[in-house]
Amino acid sequence: MKIRHILLLLTAFLGAALLIAVAVQIRDELLGYQTSERLEASNTVRERLLLGTAALANERSQTYVLLIGQRNEADSVAELRDVRRQVDDLLNAAERDVTATQASLSNTSNSLTILSRIRQELGNLRQQADDLLGPAEGMRGEQFAPRWFQEATRLVEELQSSRMTILQRERPLDPVLRTEAVLRAYAAILSESIARNQALMSRALGNPAEVGGLEIDAISQNAGRAELAWELIDGQMAVPLSATVKESVTRTHDSYSATFAPLQRTLMASLLGKVPPTLGPEEWYDLTERALSNVALMQRELLQSSRERLELELSRAKRSVALWSALLLLGAAAVLASILVVRRRVVRPLEGLSQAMLRLADNDLEIPLPRLARADEIGEMNDALRVFKANAIQRQRTQNEKQILHARLRDAYSQLQKDLEAAAVIQQTMLPPSSRIDGVEYHGLFRPSSLIAGDTYNVVRRTDGAVGFFQVDVAGHGAAAALVSVACHHALSQAILTRTQGTPLEEIAVQINEEWPEDLPYFTMILGEIDSRTQRASIIQAGHPSPLVIRSDGAIEVIGDGGFPVGMLPAASYEKIEFDLGPGDRLFIYSDGLVEAEDQDGEQFSETRLRTLVRDAANDPSSALLDRVNDVLRNWRGSETLDDDLSVLMLERLPERIPANAVH
Amino acid sequence: MLSTDLRDNVLVVRVEEKRIDASKAPAFKDEMTRCIDAGQNQIVLDMSQVDFIDSSGLGALVSCLKRLGPRGSLAVAGATGAVSRLFTLTRMDRVFALHPNVDTAVEQLSA
Repeated sequence: MKIRHILLLLTAFLGAALLIAVAVQIRDELLGYQTSERLEASNTVRERLLLGTAALANERSQTYVLLIGQRNEADSVAELRDVRRQVDDLLNAAERDVTATQASLSNTSNSLTILSRIRQELGNLRQQADDLLGPAEGMRGEQFAPRWFQEATRLVEELQSSRMTILQRERPLDPVLRTEAVLRAYAAILSESIARNQALMSRALGNPAEVGGLEIDAISQNAGRAELAWELIDGQMAVPLSATVKESVTRTHDSYSATFAPLQRTLMASLLGKVPPTLGPEEWYDLTERALSNVALMQRELLQSSRERLELELSRAKRSVALWSALLLLGAAAVLASILVVRRRVVRPLEGLSQAMLRLADNDLEIPLPRLARADEIGEMNDALRVFKANAIQRQRTQNEKQILHARLRDAYSQLQKDLEAAAVIQQTMLPPSSRIDGVEYHGLFRPSSLIAGDTYNVVRRTDGAVGFFQVDVAGHGAAAALVSVACHHALSQAILTRTQGTPLEEIAVQINEEWPEDLPYFTMILGEIDSRTQRASIIQAGHPSPLVIRSDGAIEVIGDGGFPVGMLPAASYEKIEFDLGPGDRLFIYSDGLVEAEDQDGEQFSETRLRTLVRDAANDPSSALLDRVNDVLRNWRGSETLDDDLSVLMLERLPERIPANAVH
Repeated sequence: MLSTDLRDNVLVVRVEEKRIDASKAPAFKDEMTRCIDAGQNQIVLDMSQVDFIDSSGLGALVSCLKRLGPRGSLAVAGATGAVSRLFTLTRMDRVFALHPNVDTAVEQLSA
């Protein structure tokens, strides 16, 4: 998993958690809002129903007193019509509300059915009452009044209970609201009790002498119910209700206790004691009307309080939903912003750097690095990467320069090598090939330690018939020694050729030695001549190893014991060594490279081994002998290479010339 | 490659090498030149450790002698074997004072 995935996932996860928490809160708030809305709706319906119930109770009382004939019919009927319209209006309103709140309330259809049934039955009752009140009926009204009252009361109770049904279904959680609802229910009972006694007592007072025990019982029962309702109402006062509500309840109760209750008790006592009551039915009716209106006022206060409370709750819920929604939007914006910032400030630059690093690691120095003017870690990484890149470019440049230099060196070396090879060819051509001059045969062995050598030799025919020869070994080896050897070669060859007759051989050595530039390396040499007419040979030994003479009979002799090198000391003197060199005798001149050649343990080949080797090969022809020396030395070294230049010059005085036709 | 020791006003230079060949000769010459240029006139070169000198080594030795010139002397002590033979072959035994050991050389020079 890449860093960008981790970062983005983490941010998204945190954001999602935050949003979910806020969403859950919003859901709760919405539910609360819906509940409040529903409560408000149900409260409205209940209010209508409550008012409707009270109005219906009023209609009942009015109709009842008309039926029992206690009122002037003309006025009262008009009044009744008003009351009926009021009831109809309220029930219509209730029906409308129920229909309107169908969406939020749960059991509206049931309520509608009940309402419609009540209205139908109410219609029937009204028809019935109108019939009874009609002029044709005469006194039948009074006869049927109690029955009608009972029916009306049933309707009132049904309406009441329909309200209670809704109340139960939509029970508010708020204690104040709940208490107010309970108070309204009790107040409704209270109101109904008073309303019933309004009618019943009116009838009793209209005809006190004929009041039956049953009627008094009913009145007493209603009075008791009212008292009970008051007790229940008082029992709810512990709840922290609003001051207005409390005040309204207290006022209504005080008024009830002070006027209505004592009067009702007195009237009941009069009825029981068959004492003529102090109050007429109309006065009672009006008095009750006032008490009822007091209770209705209290109800309205209660309703008002609940409505306000619900509205408050609803607006609070609205605010809350709005607040949390705003928080949700804010949270979403924050999450989005975080993701964008992480992407832009961290993920993208990291990806860029990572790609650049990989490309750099692949040695792709062309890759452009991101331009980041930042002081944070990513900026530092980018700076470091720039340094890496610069270093890598520098390194590559150095590498290229090295390669170029290397190529130049290789070219120079190969040029040098070619030059040296060419020089070696020239040096080789300066050496005389195997040949013979006036009865002297000569062979050479020449092995430079590198391409060109500080060794050289030559054999020259002199004008006086003698054969001059020399072998030179310039101190050191390599190109410098080789150049000096060429100079020696030339100087000595010229000296031999131009030597005037009679000049001693040692004079040549002395002269060259004196004239030799001090800055040049010195050299050792054997300079010699063989007189072809006599059996004599002579040499100058200048620091060179003593040559060997291989006699025709195989004996080995060493000629000379040393002498000054040439070019070392200007004042050096040289001696000529003369010795016999008869027919078949061979002179073996070598440079120190031969005897100083070391084997792999660092041991030198030595003069002793050389003498033994030459003795063993004394019967071989010169060229074969040289081959053998070469082979033995190669074996001694254990390789083809040499540390020092090596050269051998062999000169052989041939036997007396034998005629071509001679036969042995 | 060289170690020095002053005995009786004679500088004894000991060659701590088995060979003085083309690869060692320049360093040998430089170190010897420093000794000579430091003002040492009487020098004994202890060659008892040396088994072999090639032509370059001999050249270096002779150039040291030339540098020292007539104002001083360079004696060679303890030259044996191939070194001794080379001295004989090139007649350097006639140029350098050869001594069998350092003591006699110092004795000779300081006398």
